Amino acid sequence: MTNTHLLHRLAWASGVAMLLSFMATPGQAADKPILIGATSSETGPFAADAEYNLNGMKLGIEEANAKGGWLGRKLELKIYDDESKPGTAVRLYTRLITEDKADLLIGPYSSGITQAIAPLMNKQQYAVVEPEASIPTIYVPGNKWNFQGVASSLTYLEGLLPLANKNGAKTVAVLGLKSAFTLACYDARIKQAEQLGMKVVYKTTYSLPEPDFASMALAIKNAQPDVVLGCTYYPDAVGLVKAFQAQGFAPKYFAETVGPVAAAFTKALGPLANGIISNTGWWHNFKTPGSKEFTEHYKAMFKQDPDYHSAAGYGAVKVLGAAVEGTKSLDQDKIRVWLHANTVDTVQGPFKVDANGLSQGFSQSLVQIQDGHLKLVTPEDLAEAKLLVPYPGK
Amino acid sequence: MLAVQLLINGILLGGTYVLIAQSLNLIFGVMRVVNLAHGSFIVMAGLFTFWLSARTGLSPLIVLPIVFVVSFVVGALLQPVLIEPLMNQGRRAELLSLMVTFGLDYVLVQIALHVWGADYVSLPYLQSTWTFGAITLSKALVVVGLFAVGIVALLYFGLNYTSFGKALLAASQSPVGAACCGINVRRVRLFAFALGIALASSAGTLLIMILPMAAESADNLTILAFVIVALGGLGEYAGVTIAAFLLGLAQSLAGYFLGGDAANVLPFVILIAVMLLWPQGLRRAA
Repeated sequence: MTNTHLLHRLAWASGVAMLLSFMATPGQAADKPILIGATSSETGPFAADAEYNLNGMKLGIEEANAKGGWLGRKLELKIYDDESKPGTAVRLYTRLITEDKADLLIGPYSSGITQAIAPLMNKQQYAVVEPEASIPTIYVPGNKWNFQGVASSLTYLEGLLPLANKNGAKTVAVLGLKSAFTLACYDARIKQAEQLGMKVVYKTTYSLPEPDFASMALAIKNAQPDVVLGCTYYPDAVGLVKAFQAQGFAPKYFAETVGPVAAAFTKALGPLANGIISNTGWWHNFKTPGSKEFTEHYKAMFKQDPDYHSAAGYGAVKVLGAAVEGTKSLDQDKIRVWLHANTVDTVQGPFKVDANGLSQGFSQSLVQIQDGHLKLVTPEDLAEAKLLVPYPGK
Repeated sequence: MLAVQLLINGILLGGTYVLIAQSLNLIFGVMRVVNLAHGSFIVMAGLFTFWLSARTGLSPLIVLPIVFVVSFVVGALLQPVLIEPLMNQGRRAELLSLMVTFGLDYVLVQIALHVWGADYVSLPYLQSTWTFGAITLSKALVVVGLFAVGIVALLYFGLNYTSFGKALLAASQSPVGAACCGINVRRVRLFAFALGIALASSAGTLLIMILPMAAESADNLTILAFVIVALGGLGEYAGVTIAAFLLGLAQSLAGYFLGGDAANVLPFVILIAVMLLWPQGLRRAA
């Protein structure tokens, strides 16, 4: 056999071997994109905020693809609409795993929906960054595969009561929508008020759709609290502000968790939105790595300002990418171990978790709507404006 | 003073409920059709009003007659195609109409989602109050309540004191008898459906001033309207008005004394109680 023949045979043999190896592990084909699956609340009461989160994810994927993807493969994002319903999300994540054969998954919008899909992730053994599940009760012993990618719900509006108390506020009313996230926040703020020695003069929970906010507002008006804290999502955040105005009551401090940060909030309320306090896990002037570029790229891609939901979605992609590149693998167990052991710098701050997947690195700052625009009012070193009180309510 | 404020809140809430419910009731009364697309007409009108007002700066009260006329025409176009063919189906008509209007509801919600998106919206209109001593009246709530009651009052007088209204009532009580008296029942049904849709749409234009609303609110509004109509008695105009105001008052009191959860669940508790005690509705029980 001549050397030429030998070379030809070797070339054939190696070609066939490569072909067989691709056929044996079709998921590893270099030209096939890495499929990342998630659901988002494109419809339903969470749609306004979930859109920002999804946009953040899309930007993260776009940026990764512009740099060649992960492990030399492009990324493809597969999104289904969970209609803001936990049951629908469980069905769709099952579909992503069993039918779409997603390589990687990212969590949905909201704590309640994540709470529903978290057991599925533990069962199917998918290491999932949860960008919008702030309630700590998901990340408890027994949870191995869900990683909190956002500040805990216990920290929402946490900074307000000490500040108000320092400025002489003594009484508080706390309202909470009946959902996993808002109820966790509701309980935490009541407990915090009591620890600070402030009197909780009114507290109630309510459900969507469209409860009679007028009666709650009237009851709060009669209780005359200095601070009103609403553990809300967008629709009830708007409804409560309108109801307070209708009953002619403007508390000195009026704060709501989710809602005021959405651009639609100011559009729906006009001047009534001025003075409303809320919170954010990210702001455009944060000194975190990549924050400036994130803001610029997001604005260019979506023609809107990003908010902390966008930062959380964007951060989840970055964290997942770091884990894939760090392990040089799509192996879920390797990714899980890596996520437990490593810290990833994100625009929200450092992603790091404890043994149960609970976030240890993120925090919340306060924002306030002033002259129709959101202004960061804490922490002091980054604040764009001073907190204005009392809430004008007109 | 607290009692007066609670009473006013309840009446104003009841005023909006009257308009939401009477339009459903009108269609049922004349055609025995429970319009499951009721809420989606309310929502479409609300979202359209928001869209038009936000773009043109037009007051929603100016948009109101536009919405009324457009939705009347839409109703008049839909009725011969979707509802009228069911009318000669005998006993099957009610079940078939449920299926047809359920399908219509789905189509309308999808159109609303496609055109206006899924976000909750609300118009910042008349956001100030009148204060009389300890009593506070939201201008938006008062205007919405007055318009709602005014529209329903016009409906009441139209039904009872005009020849066409009397024909409509006659057709709802006995279609065969009305036809024997020379009433064009087919035309009456067309008019009633179109008017019902126009009234539901008017409710949407008014509600967007006081409530955040999204495409997905449609089903909840249909259920609310159905609860009120069931309380008042299907086809009973006075009974439904009374039920709407009673429910508004009850929710106002429950919300104040028992909190938001109680106010939410109350309509259904009352409905179950009334169905057990007076299954024919409040009006016929009185």
